Amino acid sequence: MTHAVADHPVLDPTVAPPFPVAALPVLRNPQLRKNVAHAMDVIQAKRARLVEEKADWQALRSAGAAIRDHVLENLGAYLEQFEERCTAAGGVVHWAADAAGARRIVLEILRAEKAAEVIKIKSMTTAEIQLNPYLEAAGVGVFETDLAEIILQLGREEPSHIVVPALHVNRSQVREIFARSMGIRDLSDNPQALTAAARNYLRRKFLTVPTAISGANFLIAESGGVAVVESEGNGRMCLTLPRTMITVAGIEKVLPRYQDLEVMLQVLARSATGERMNPYTSLWTGVTPGDGPQRFHVILLDNGRSQILGRKTERQTLRCIRCAACMNACPVYRQTGGHAYGSVYPGPIGAILTPQLMQMHHAQSLPYASSLCGACYEVCPVKINIPEVLIELRAQVTDQERRQVRRFFDPMYLGMRMAGLLLSRAWLFHAAQRMGRLGLRFFTGKDGWIHSLPGMGAQWTQTRDLRGMPGETFHEWWTKHKKEAR
Amino acid sequence: MNAAASPRQQALERIRAATRNPAASVEPAGSYASLRRDYIGHGALPAESRIALMLERLREYDAEVTECPPEALPATIAAQLLASGRHAFVAPAGLPQEWLAPQFAWKVDRDLPAAEIEQAEGVVTTCFCAIADSGTIVLHHSASEGRRVLSLLPDWHLCILRASQVVETLPEYFSLCKQPPRLVTWISGPSATADIEMTRIKGVHGPRFLHVILVRDPVADPTSNLQPDQAR
Ligand code: SF4
Repeated sequence: MTHAVADHPVLDPTVAPPFPVAALPVLRNPQLRKNVAHAMDVIQAKRARLVEEKADWQALRSAGAAIRDHVLENLGAYLEQFEERCTAAGGVVHWAADAAGARRIVLEILRAEKAAEVIKIKSMTTAEIQLNPYLEAAGVGVFETDLAEIILQLGREEPSHIVVPALHVNRSQVREIFARSMGIRDLSDNPQALTAAARNYLRRKFLTVPTAISGANFLIAESGGVAVVESEGNGRMCLTLPRTMITVAGIEKVLPRYQDLEVMLQVLARSATGERMNPYTSLWTGVTPGDGPQRFHVILLDNGRSQILGRKTERQTLRCIRCAACMNACPVYRQTGGHAYGSVYPGPIGAILTPQLMQMHHAQSLPYASSLCGACYEVCPVKINIPEVLIELRAQVTDQERRQVRRFFDPMYLGMRMAGLLLSRAWLFHAAQRMGRLGLRFFTGKDGWIHSLPGMGAQWTQTRDLRGMPGETFHEWWTKHKKEAR
Repeated sequence: MNAAASPRQQALERIRAATRNPAASVEPAGSYASLRRDYIGHGALPAESRIALMLERLREYDAEVTECPPEALPATIAAQLLASGRHAFVAPAGLPQEWLAPQFAWKVDRDLPAAEIEQAEGVVTTCFCAIADSGTIVLHHSASEGRRVLSLLPDWHLCILRASQVVETLPEYFSLCKQPPRLVTWISGPSATADIEMTRIKGVHGPRFLHVILVRDPVADPTSNLQPDQAR
């Protein structure tokens, strides 16, 4: 199958080209690669410094993993507790089985509110369910309020990172986007001026649009509280000024108790942006008379999560707190940027999460988008063993492929079946070794190296040499010397 | 699975089947209590260094800090308001009357509409506590801390922090909370973004200026009155 390299990145896993194809535009664009690498260097260096100063970092990671595992093990009970407490505090809890269900609920609420416009806090979950295009098609004006999200929305760009989603857009591009869509003629490309432009652009929206949509970083089961972590204050605006608030949260976002935030808030900002704490974190509980929105809805979204929950190795994927440390550390992401992953979730977490959310029907190339170096595992604040999950998913992809008839004569599967045959029978293996030695002798140079091979082997020798086979195997040597020793 | 079941029932059934855990109540067999928490609960800094650390963090965030003894607080507030060059302020309903220096225009928040709060040039509030390790100010939005909108819209936030309210670590703050609070805002420096080429820019939507008056009241260890089991 051939895929045209799209001009515009496709982040819908059901139609996105496979990773190696989607990676080409960035690989061919040295400036973009430099931008991505620069951003990664900045965040990584800040993170490393702050992790260094934290004497109990590993203990925090272990506690974080343990709390998240405990939640997942008892997810049903904690969700019910959250629902009960949130409802008691004046919130309305909805349940959505999939993206379509969640989108429908949002639209129904907006219709009941007669809302023609909504303001939004940056949220991965609403990106996952592709809420914005759906609402726009239904005639609702959607206004993103996070600076990076404004850049993407006004510039018709796609996010390439889960924490700094517009890192692939440079200041002169931002200037152009803002000048064009905000109608400002003499705008400089100074980040300070660009930020001020965004502030002015949104100020009136915050004060007049009566409905807001957010995601959630954490849901607190014991109190029914919802926490949102941010930097700019746009979140606080959306959480405070409108009349109605709608929060879309994955079912895995629950924490047992308020106090568990003492672990999560210590690891999240350090991992995400290399700060000791992000500028603003807000927590609210249902509705509070006189303070903030007086109508509050939470939509608990499954969308494939309960299936991940049921699998032993893969369950840890749901511990994720979306800090992005894994992509910042990933040598593959650093070269390809985020769009290559064909999903709103890029990087190592995207490589394991996306195919699972697609129930392994799409995005099968993603588990291979890794060198398995383990850098992601090392930095993950909730200790998700991403390489382990990648390998498990690769096995599933292989099993799927093997069952396809057209793969029967695929050279790789043919080779693997041959190898399986040879490696499981000692006598065949020894015979093959002897034959290989004979055969390769023709191609081995005087220096003991093979410089070029015909056919498929050429793919290897085109770029590197191969050492010739030794005159005798260890097994043969041992058999001989054991006899001599006696 | 019952096709007529509500999405809620279906979701819970799927989850229970996936976890093979039908428990309807949380914390089966004390498993929550036995979660390992080997991280640092209580900090080890003496009071003076703890406060110095808090001030250092605030300055790193470009927050301005002024110190004063308790009896000089009203005068210090007035001086800072004057120095800010601003005139129109809002105040939470529970702010002590003697802090509202009469030479300025005050609006006290008794359900002020947002548009009026937006007109104010600054706001004065107290706080619940502060965490030195990360330089964080915590608001629980009591009567003197104000509604959330109050410390959000004005461009200049003057926060009154008593030395005795400064704890060292985040877990120390959590052990101060007997009940989960209903509303919380954690503030660590003024609003900021690094979305354009990773350049940190101060002041996007929240207040662009954070100013703290540290009141030098006598400092006991703020968590020393805790039971040992709470002090983890
Ligand atoms: S997998 Fe770990 S490192 Fe990656 S985003 Fe999730 S929590 Fe962060």
